[in-house]
Amino acid sequence: MSETTNIPRVVVIGLASCFGCQINITNIESHLMEVLGQIDVRYWQLTSSDTMPDEFDVAVIEGAATTKEALETLASVRERAKVVITIGACAATAGIPGMAAPEWQDRINDVYGDNTPAIVSDIACKPQAVHDVIKVDYEVPCCPIDPYAFVHVLQKALYGSNEYSRTSTMCGECKRNERGCFYGRGILCMGMITKQGCGARCPNLGRPCNGCAGLSPDANLDAARVVVQHSGVPLKRFNDALAMFNQDDPRIAL
Amino acid sequence: MTKTRIEVDHVARIEGHGDIHLEIADGKVERCEFAVTEPARMFEGMVRGRYFEEVPYISSRVCGICSASHTVTDILAIERIFGVEVTPRTRAIRQLLIYGSFLQNHATHLFVFAAPDFLGHKSVFPLADASPQIFEGALALKGLGNELCNKVGGRSIHPITAVVGGFTNELSPAEYIELADKMDSMLDFALQAVDLFNDFSVSSFETEGDMLAMVNPGEYPIVGSDKAQFVRAGISFDCQNINDYIEEYALDHSAAFLAVMRENKRPYFASALARVNSSWDALTEPARFAAAKAGLRPPEYNPFANNVAQAVEIVDALIRCSSICRALAKDEFEGTSTPVEFQVRAGRGVGFTEAPRGALFHELEIDNEGRIVSANIITPTSQNIANIEADMRLLATLLVEEGKAPDDIQLEIEKLVRAYDPCLSCSVH
Repeated sequence: MSETTNIPRVVVIGLASCFGCQINITNIESHLMEVLGQIDVRYWQLTSSDTMPDEFDVAVIEGAATTKEALETLASVRERAKVVITIGACAATAGIPGMAAPEWQDRINDVYGDNTPAIVSDIACKPQAVHDVIKVDYEVPCCPIDPYAFVHVLQKALYGSNEYSRTSTMCGECKRNERGCFYGRGILCMGMITKQGCGARCPNLGRPCNGCAGLSPDANLDAARVVVQHSGVPLKRFNDALAMFNQDDPRIAL
Repeated sequence: MTKTRIEVDHVARIEGHGDIHLEIADGKVERCEFAVTEPARMFEGMVRGRYFEEVPYISSRVCGICSASHTVTDILAIERIFGVEVTPRTRAIRQLLIYGSFLQNHATHLFVFAAPDFLGHKSVFPLADASPQIFEGALALKGLGNELCNKVGGRSIHPITAVVGGFTNELSPAEYIELADKMDSMLDFALQAVDLFNDFSVSSFETEGDMLAMVNPGEYPIVGSDKAQFVRAGISFDCQNINDYIEEYALDHSAAFLAVMRENKRPYFASALARVNSSWDALTEPARFAAAKAGLRPPEYNPFANNVAQAVEIVDALIRCSSICRALAKDEFEGTSTPVEFQVRAGRGVGFTEAPRGALFHELEIDNEGRIVSANIITPTSQNIANIEADMRLLATLLVEEGKAPDDIQLEIEKLVRAYDPCLSCSVH
């Protein structure tokens, strides 16, 4: 907290991402002012051209680190921030940008061929999750974040909380909704091994889980692979889908 | 020798990171770059080898604003390859989903990014006190776009329900009617917005580039036609042959590819303005009248007119969405939106939609197991960068000739860039 006032000074920083998590925060217009009333937003690239201040209390970070500048920014933010919160899958697991991390140079060649612009070769580095670069205090998962999940985490960061992190999988939440299971229809779903918390948003709308919240600490990958094979879904599909939002998780190694 | 140097590090109020480098000596432009420095995420590389079902889901993450456009465009490319015919009802809902992102995008661009320039503010926030009615209307309009995407796609960004063959979930008739009523109630404000943007004075000049938009006789198409047209050259082509008409190239100062017309190497502008120029007759009547009243009539080649064109499209989109919602509620479109059956097969296909910022193409090649062999995404902004640079050069020369001060030239050049509504995270992807 600031020395002179009790209002925490907040900066919002965007790294490699679609900007969707920041946009999703602005999408709760009616509650946004109540949330913003509790904080002093000193820097928010997306909405204002003010420059980054030297002093602040809370840093909210979206996106994966994919440039040398991003690595420097993160180091300097960690030095100054009392609390670091990441929003979204790109920051939490390297997310979608992280899919390009294995064989990174080949992925650059896929896109640019022999004509890689100097500006890309000069700045780019292999995508990383923010917590692989600096210590992170709170993570808001999913792609995109649920803005209310962000508000919940921000409250925890501002006022403290004795709430334990839940470790169970999305599959349990989905079962309680009683909408049936995709595996009975031979359709791949990542709910068995994915962190809970979204209320099974996609399955409720008829779409299987893509695992955007990342692997649950309770995930039993061996058991999940047995279920996948029994349901007639090719194991390769499951293993490929695992790589989508868990690039930085050593458990996905085969 | 008089030398004017303009350096803007991170152009404010656009999406993503881009810099302006401009040097003018004795009235001659010596350097003119719109440098896209946004980090590339290598989408075209990361989707190689992945199963087709995952790909529209991945490509929606190119952009948090036009995610619906990327999703639908990818789905169209896949359906082209597999030979999937969807129902008229599915086509109508796709249109609704894309219009949702039009409303989101145009409201954000016009009020949050562009308007402060003309009202002498640094951001949108002073508008809350200066013109509360406009501020609240702008938020309500953006909110309605979010709600439309949220209801139809299951989320305000990165739609869940849109899949190859149809939709996995649909609204009830009552929900469609509720949306239609909300569209109707926003119309008055949307008409005021056209007048507001018409009142802003802008530099008078014409781009020398061409304009590109989707066309279909008798329609104002945003999805559903394969035909694209260069408005000035009068050249039309089928989107499947895009590489015969559009040439992408790389420059060292831009992480995004640039594009020109293949035939004459002329740059071009894909945008709301291109659509208004090419499909003027098919605009809904209130939108066309509002445009004409605001002095926007085809042919209009001043890129600043893109702001008014977007305001006109908000009017048009509200009327169309209301009517689509009411027709969906009354079950007037043939078929259901339940995904149709299809067989995976190998091939190449191009998906084409009008994203809020202009023509968007996704080219995919799939093998016979349904895995991606190659992908190419051509976004409106990457097509526009060459034309932005050409217009910057032209406008800067004019302003120097008029004896404008460097600060004024810089602001005018920034306004020009913002009128293009560039999305640099899209352009790099």
